[in-house]
Amino acid sequence: MEKANQLIDQKIETTCFHCGECCVEQTLHHDGKVFCCNGCQLVYDVLEENDLCDYYEIAPNPGNNQKKSSERKNRFDYLADPEVTSKLLDFQDPEESHVTFYIPLIHCASCIWLLENLHQLDQAITSSRVNFLQKKVQIKFKNKSLDLKGLVTLLAKIGYEPAINLSDVDKRKILSTDRKLIYKLAVAGFCFGNMMFFSLPEYFSEAELLGEGFRKLFNYLNVLLALPVFFYSATDYYRSAWLAIKSKAVNMDVPIALGIITLFSYSMFEIFVSGQEGYLDSMGGLLFFLLLGKLYQKKTYETLSFSRDYTSYFPIAVTKMVRDREEVIPLTKLQVGEIIKVRNEELIPADSVLLEGQARIDYSFVTGEEVPVPKTKGELIFAGGRQKGQPITLVVQKPPSQGYLTDLWNNTAFVKADKETSLASLADQISGKFTFTVLFIAFAALVYWSFQDFSMGIKAFTAVLIITCPCALAMSTPFTLGNTLRIFGQSKFYLKNAHVVEKMAKVDTVVFDKTGTLTAPSQAHITFRGGSLSTETTSILKGMVQHSVHPLSYRINGWLGNIPVAFLEGVEEVPGKGIKAIYKSQLFLLGSASFTGAKIKGDAQIPGNQVFFSVEGILMGYFQIESGLRKGMDQVVCQLINGRQVHLLSGDNDLEREQFEDLLGPEVTLKFNQSPQDKLDYIQRLKAHGGNVLMVGDGLNDAGALKVSQVGIAVTENISHFSPSSDAILDAEKLYQLPQYLRFSQTSRKIIQASFALSFTYNAIGIFFAVQGLVSPVLCAILMPLSSISVVLFTTLGTNYFAYKKGLKEKIC
Amino acid sequence: MEVIFLLIGISLVLAGGFLGLFFKAMKSGQYDDNYTPSIRILFEQKVNKKEKKTNYKKSK
Amino acid sequence: MSGTILEQFSYDNKIVKYFGVATIAWGIAGMLIGVIAATQLFLPEANMGNPYTTYGRIRPLHTNAVIFAFVGNAIFAGVYYSMPRLLKAPMWNKALSWFHFWGWQLIILSAVITLPLGLTSSKEYAELEWPIDIAIAVVWVAFGANMIGTLIKRREKHMYVAIWFYLASFVTVAVLHIFNSLALPVSLFKSYSAYAGVQDALVQWWYGHNAVAFFLTTPFLGLMYYFLPKAANRPVYSYKLSIVHFWSLIFLYIWAGPHHLLYTALPEWAQVLGVAFSVMLIAPSWGGMVNGLLTLRGAWDKVRVDPVLKFMVVAVTAYGMATFEGPLLSLKNVNAIAHYTDWIVAHVHIGALGWNGFLTFSMLYWLWPKMWKTNIYSVKLANTHFWLGTLGILFYALPMYVAALTQSLMWKEFGEGGRLAYPNFLETVIELVPMYMLRAFGGLLYLSGVFLMVYNMIKTAAQGTFQEEEADEAPALAKHVSSKGEFWHRKWERKPVFFTVLATVAIVIGGVVEIVPTILVKSNVPTISSVKPYTPLELQGRDLYISNGCVGCHSQMIRPFRHETERYGEYSKAGEYVYDRPFLWGSKRTGPDLHRVGGKYPDSWHYQHMVDPRTMSPGSLMPPYPWMTTTIMNHDDIAAKIRVMQKLGVPYPEGYDQVAKEDLQKQAQEIVANLKTSGVEVLPDTEIVALIAYLQRLGTDIKNTAVDNR
Repeated sequence: MEKANQLIDQKIETTCFHCGECCVEQTLHHDGKVFCCNGCQLVYDVLEENDLCDYYEIAPNPGNNQKKSSERKNRFDYLADPEVTSKLLDFQDPEESHVTFYIPLIHCASCIWLLENLHQLDQAITSSRVNFLQKKVQIKFKNKSLDLKGLVTLLAKIGYEPAINLSDVDKRKILSTDRKLIYKLAVAGFCFGNMMFFSLPEYFSEAELLGEGFRKLFNYLNVLLALPVFFYSATDYYRSAWLAIKSKAVNMDVPIALGIITLFSYSMFEIFVSGQEGYLDSMGGLLFFLLLGKLYQKKTYETLSFSRDYTSYFPIAVTKMVRDREEVIPLTKLQVGEIIKVRNEELIPADSVLLEGQARIDYSFVTGEEVPVPKTKGELIFAGGRQKGQPITLVVQKPPSQGYLTDLWNNTAFVKADKETSLASLADQISGKFTFTVLFIAFAALVYWSFQDFSMGIKAFTAVLIITCPCALAMSTPFTLGNTLRIFGQSKFYLKNAHVVEKMAKVDTVVFDKTGTLTAPSQAHITFRGGSLSTETTSILKGMVQHSVHPLSYRINGWLGNIPVAFLEGVEEVPGKGIKAIYKSQLFLLGSASFTGAKIKGDAQIPGNQVFFSVEGILMGYFQIESGLRKGMDQVVCQLINGRQVHLLSGDNDLEREQFEDLLGPEVTLKFNQSPQDKLDYIQRLKAHGGNVLMVGDGLNDAGALKVSQVGIAVTENISHFSPSSDAILDAEKLYQLPQYLRFSQTSRKIIQASFALSFTYNAIGIFFAVQGLVSPVLCAILMPLSSISVVLFTTLGTNYFAYKKGLKEKIC
Repeated sequence: MEVIFLLIGISLVLAGGFLGLFFKAMKSGQYDDNYTPSIRILFEQKVNKKEKKTNYKKSK
Repeated sequence: MSGTILEQFSYDNKIVKYFGVATIAWGIAGMLIGVIAATQLFLPEANMGNPYTTYGRIRPLHTNAVIFAFVGNAIFAGVYYSMPRLLKAPMWNKALSWFHFWGWQLIILSAVITLPLGLTSSKEYAELEWPIDIAIAVVWVAFGANMIGTLIKRREKHMYVAIWFYLASFVTVAVLHIFNSLALPVSLFKSYSAYAGVQDALVQWWYGHNAVAFFLTTPFLGLMYYFLPKAANRPVYSYKLSIVHFWSLIFLYIWAGPHHLLYTALPEWAQVLGVAFSVMLIAPSWGGMVNGLLTLRGAWDKVRVDPVLKFMVVAVTAYGMATFEGPLLSLKNVNAIAHYTDWIVAHVHIGALGWNGFLTFSMLYWLWPKMWKTNIYSVKLANTHFWLGTLGILFYALPMYVAALTQSLMWKEFGEGGRLAYPNFLETVIELVPMYMLRAFGGLLYLSGVFLMVYNMIKTAAQGTFQEEEADEAPALAKHVSSKGEFWHRKWERKPVFFTVLATVAIVIGGVVEIVPTILVKSNVPTISSVKPYTPLELQGRDLYISNGCVGCHSQMIRPFRHETERYGEYSKAGEYVYDRPFLWGSKRTGPDLHRVGGKYPDSWHYQHMVDPRTMSPGSLMPPYPWMTTTIMNHDDIAAKIRVMQKLGVPYPEGYDQVAKEDLQKQAQEIVANLKTSGVEVLPDTEIVALIAYLQRLGTDIKNTAVDNR
């Protein structure tokens, strides 16, 4: 024991020079440094040889752990395929090629430095630029002396293997719209600033001080500056308004466009006909604030890409077996009937039948349950599962694009109608009424005045249209929802768009997928049946499970906690069976019943999983592992229940029914043995009964359900990982906050209504003056920005304050 | 006060020029990445490793 | 493809070292002069009894030395260090760099010579006469060309925000300098401003403000955005914010000039604008400050031990204070109190000593060890410097604030019977003497700190080995263009000539667009029939007044406040200045306003007062000018002066330049005779005679004659 402990201490001290992780299995001393694995050491050697060791000075232990990196030489062969290459490259000419890789491993300054010094590793690389926030690197290289495969191999060699998957092959589009918006904003801002410069004197000083000549000049300059605003910055509003009118609808942009046009034309009249100064600065301000709001809106929605489908998860290449020869081909070229080889940790690319090998498929991506399922020869294996253990060979049954799950995916039955139109947002609902009211008042004023003085009537008419420009109205929604989105984002809850918030507010039915959603591997409930474990035994067990990547080993490891690790001689994992280890010349086995030679008495139908443990063939006992609820889920369910119905759907058998019934209480409807299609249908039934359904799921098997539900929330352990397309992505740890989120979405709805009230008061005031024809440019110039700014402040402060009160935010600001 | 015109003229031309510059910058993608550059400037140029570098080149 | 191979190049540290040394050398000189000038304000003897070292002449020397020599060289040192490294390319043209260096030093040297000689245009921060102005323009353009050249040859696609600040500074300062310095030369070292009176004032303060903006602020913001992250070895808090900061600052600064002329004869609306935009400026300025300070969040432990960061923190804070105080001062009611007092002096020194000074020090403390490949010789000394400097700033600023409030309150206090409580201006001055002493002490502290730095830097250099060239390598910018936009950008960059042509064309168009209306639109400055051009002798006297820098202490602009009209007389009208080239409104009242001094005292009083002010007004701080009674003035240039004035549109009768000299002598004789009656013997062509002629004329034109607006 002593000896063991010393060794342990020693190991604890030694952290890998490259990746900074504690060296457990092995501790390589090399070049005066310590490494945790060959991978790390190899990377170091490469950098050392090319004198790129500043890498290690910029940030401490910047590397990525190389233990899991595959050594397979031929795994990039598919990149030699011209079709693939041409699809991956951004640009290509006889001289040079440009490519952009997504490298999830980018995490620190050192990464940037190294990736931007690639040219020192290979002279063919002209330049490489990292975009840190997007974790992307754009590389330009001479394609004479280096090809894509070589490049990727190089990157892999230094520990930055790019993540290339099927979705990279279909080209990405450029977000130029965003840039256009910024131009429009810049123009509006610039012109607004200068127009203010030329208008202020008029407002603030006795006019006679401003010579006639100046007034004229300033007015003309204002006109000059107004033109770009009117004809460039404002175009979006005309377009959208026109579209709305064409489709017999009235959205927020109609009154806006109306206001802008009136402002402009009336100002023109004032300046050129009656020689007044006009309202052009107000127009500039209006556009400036509107566009600012628009930009803000856009920025807050740029959180995550939600258009992810199976392609962003499937590999780009597969290993095809031609007789005994392996060749790596792009997935797109995979034909039915071909034989493929799938190795440890690789994905089953298409529905296929197992030919040979020990298939243990981890369907975590499909079902959320990560304990591998054993499959026997001849069984059909669905695409999307991940093989654990020995390589297996399969015969492809369906092309990847038509697999069972991908079918589910592409099932047009539940392709959601575009939400933007499907559910008219609050703002649009009222903007119709608003517009008509305004028009009515305007005409009323016109008629009223016309009896005495027609010109006065015109003045009042235009004044009403100008002053009631719904700038504030238009901004309250984007800013409130934008803030809500941001607040949610801060607590790891990412919404697809603002409308989701409005829909969440209406939810009255919540449906959970069990596995991986309600239950969490980390929360697995573990008990050791059979005798108590001595500290020595536990330290031995620790030593064994540490070596295994098997999820059950992880759980046992977690259960054992942070205890000393015994020094074991021969540790070996028998994939799909268990772990073998020698300690003090005794054989320790940990794994399946058959592996440990344990005979299970009674019925084998014990719920959950068992891991057996034997020493020298004598069974010491077994670990009983039952999937446990996530932290606080029971309360969550209770909180959700008030006023809503809660359902639980599970793909698994109902062995754990009782467990869940007493965990969640009777109100919750439990359904087991649900196939993805069942789930889908179930949701649709709920909807048919007029429910506003919120579906919470994680796996691909929930994809259908997530799509048909009004609000589909995909729960994921890691945001950057794959998750089925949905309305929102929620970090698993934060699932317990779901009730708060729902409540807060209602709050923000209230805030919007309040801010509407606010801007209505402004408009009321404005109209009060307008109908009397008392609107002066000054009043306009003050009232408009005032209303916009105050609404923005109100919504921003409001949302943040309530978020703070509801505990979704640490501090206000 | 004629000089005001001159000043306005200059100011407008200057400001306009800057606006143009801003557009050029946006167009050329200067502001596509608003984070990495701030880290990039922290890297010191590598000196004193020259000779190592050169013979590495020869070896290639 | 040139782009494909890794290119080797090296950065020139030598030029940085030279600019750095120049910075310190001129800095010490400028501050020393400052301390002397400060001393003269409570100890007139310190004027050393000769015109060259008299306050009126060394004050502009102080400001020029500090702004253009100390701060200027610091900017260049910083730019020449950071720019090549940011763009991964050595400065475009070494020869140009050195031309820039020596050219600039020569300009400063010429300033050191001409200003004490009284060769000045008397426009604040633009005092230098026209030949030097031209030299400045040339050297400045060389600097700009060097930067743009580097930009084109750069290997780093992205232009870091600092670069933008540098370029904006270059362009704007160039334009400002050229337009403000427009003048018609009389002789090699004498010229008359192209603008008169109110207009001259407006141009001057449009320049004056933007000079502060684009010479003392934007370049230093650029430096901050480079050296602060480098010194703290962490990226700037928000790079996005820094970009927004730049663009918003650029768009607002240009407008904020007129606030320097509140309550003057400047049209109200122009003043209002100044105020509005100055107030708006708070936002971007504080954006910058916050960005700077937050960069150090979580690194305060570093700040505690590292003098470089210490200096930076105070510098950025000072920037924040100054940029808050500025808009505050531009508010009319605050300005009513602060204008003409020491508050302004305090304000600018917070900026100069805190922001510019401290950032420069931190930069040098960071650069020296870097370039000499060693550590700083003594952190302890550096810390001592830091504390001396900080104390210096406090001892400087606080007394000035007190002095400002004291004086402005005394000025406007009314006693019983509605009379001024302190009708004698002198009373309000004597109050300030202790404050002035403290201020000088503060300056001394600050200066002594700099001496510590010099020692520290010499020692640092001694223990290290200077690296003249620093090698680096980078691949050239790939020629391939990923977007059409990029293509245009490149095209524009690759053709600097093309670009400059465009720019000039734009400027010309702008100019024309603005000049045309000036012909169409009549001036709205009310002309006053009774206002006549200066007589030749008065003109000479005025030039004397200018060359002795009297404007440094005496304003010529009575604001429309009761206490001012009570004290000085009828408030000043725009129309009274139509023949003032340059305007002499002044910005500080250490002495009383002189706009209505004409006829207030007899000639003999002025004579005695100039010989020794304290005989006429005991306790006065004004330096004595005894030499004026003996120095003979050469009036031969008067003809030329008249001709230039005529060119500028001053209505002297045709061919008046021929008879001007006789008129001059006639008037001189009258004054001499007048002085004789009160027992004063003086030669007619002495300086004093001309000066008296001018002083007696001041503001007399419209005494009890009403303004008529045509």
